[in-house]
Amino acid sequence: MVALLKEKFRAEPSFDEVVANHSRFPRLIARKIDVQRRGVHYTERATAALDPESHQLRSPYIFGSRDGEIKPLPESLLLADGTTILVDPTPLAQDPYVVDHRDDRFLLIDDDREVEEVALWPKPAYYGKLTSSGLPMSHIVSARPQRLNIFQSSFCYFWADKQGCQFCDIVTHTKQQREQLGVPNRLRPQDVKETIAEAIKERGRFTSMCLTAGSVIKGNEPFDLEVDFYIELLQAIGENFKTKKFPSQLIASAFNEKQLGRLYEQTGLTSYTSDLEVLNEDLFNWICPGKAKHVGYQGWKDRLVRAVDIFGRGNVGTGLVGGVELARPNGFKSEADALASTLGEADWLAQRGVTTVYIVWVPRPGSAFKDQRAPSLDYYIRLAQGLQDIRASHGLKVDFDDYRRCGNHPDSDLARLQ
Amino acid sequence: MTTTLTPDIIALLDDDTTRKVLATVDADDVPHVVEKRSLHHGGDGTIHYLELLETSTTNRNLVRSIWFGGKVAISLSGGDGRSVQIKGRPVKIHITGPLYLRHYERIRALLGDVDLAGVWVIEPDQVIDQSFAARKSREETLHPDFIHLDRLAIQEDVLP
Repeated sequence: MVALLKEKFRAEPSFDEVVANHSRFPRLIARKIDVQRRGVHYTERATAALDPESHQLRSPYIFGSRDGEIKPLPESLLLADGTTILVDPTPLAQDPYVVDHRDDRFLLIDDDREVEEVALWPKPAYYGKLTSSGLPMSHIVSARPQRLNIFQSSFCYFWADKQGCQFCDIVTHTKQQREQLGVPNRLRPQDVKETIAEAIKERGRFTSMCLTAGSVIKGNEPFDLEVDFYIELLQAIGENFKTKKFPSQLIASAFNEKQLGRLYEQTGLTSYTSDLEVLNEDLFNWICPGKAKHVGYQGWKDRLVRAVDIFGRGNVGTGLVGGVELARPNGFKSEADALASTLGEADWLAQRGVTTVYIVWVPRPGSAFKDQRAPSLDYYIRLAQGLQDIRASHGLKVDFDDYRRCGNHPDSDLARLQ
Repeated sequence: MTTTLTPDIIALLDDDTTRKVLATVDADDVPHVVEKRSLHHGGDGTIHYLELLETSTTNRNLVRSIWFGGKVAISLSGGDGRSVQIKGRPVKIHITGPLYLRHYERIRALLGDVDLAGVWVIEPDQVIDQSFAARKSREETLHPDFIHLDRLAIQEDVLP
């Protein structure tokens, strides 16, 4: 059965065949993309070699995994060049890469060939500690190799109106984490402040933090309450630092100038990201109905551009779920058309100081697009190179969202050479 | 292709008085040669280099090398006149984890308020004895014709 399905899933050019057409694209970044695209399966040898004391195992996250389960498996992987692969466990029937443990090394295996040695993310020192309210700190702030993730709330109000983004499983996963792990629905600033204080005691570990959550449309003006939540949280976090500003990224709804001004003036926040998810108005309206209804595509773009006046060039970004522009039935019919359209819109944004990054689309079981398939490796390579070339041509930095501070964008991995 | 560092090379690499230079190449094949005192033996036959600046030319060149298979050269000049060149390849960078954290603490204890971008691991491919006496002897053995005749001529002032 697996063999038959494997044939179906691999009806595409091999990794080597694809990268042979991209000699100026780093093979390791191509591998990262392909691993994210296909997922991973951990062998019994690999899981037996896990050391919960030194390896970071999966902690609460805003999105779920491809197998729809929460298991004590590695949070993610690191390649030899320091590139992070944020990847989740995937059923074997979907032909994922295999992570095995041989000769005291963790290895990525594809078609029974050892293709790369990988390292597991190291467990941060604050994991296992409790806040004064008795909550595990790993449930309050989760870690990447050098970034702290603060998921302020895992609820998205767009879902309440059945207008959640079609690729997203945030609410499905929230319920699962609450029931299985006891992760709180909304974080208390005091818990976050204490956890950050503990985390930054580990010298040399963290370089930035990222706050994000679902959209909250409530307030005198839409999103006022969401902004209030973030200001409260950022102010509490800021009490841990001797400088007013600290390296930080907020990924949030498209706020108006007044809201952005409040965030910038009243907190230590240094960068702002608001995800358009897909760079095409018709597809945005279809894929992100909640965003389309409450702000609209042009309005969302306009708010991003205005954010540059407040946070500065190179400190404002938008994220794409790379590949959803090809989702059936309304997406682009060809990868070439999708790429040309997406890069054209990204260039428009870059001219105005907004940088665009993408994540590899994973059709997750808890999302409306669960039965869809992500596009080709070739497409993702072209998208990564295209977005980075645009950034470089406009002299735009992406320091706040690069390989070290984020690690989830193949395009900004390339900025290491910019 | 990997070569073994002999104990005397390792000692030279780890000697604080050794002058250590790292040469990398940029995208246009322009060499970038800089003294790097942090070069040291990694303990497993590799060479470690502490990169303090993410945006340094050396760091970008090393990233390019690990991505596209480029090489680096290291020159070691000891106080006793020994001179060695090592050709190698960057094979890994530690940006997190126990080794990184250990060096982070160490470099800050040594230099004060600095950061650490990463610890590069360089695998040596070739070690060349660069001392003039060794190179002269090698050339004379392999290429006896490479000599000016006057050096072979009978010197009149030393005729009996």
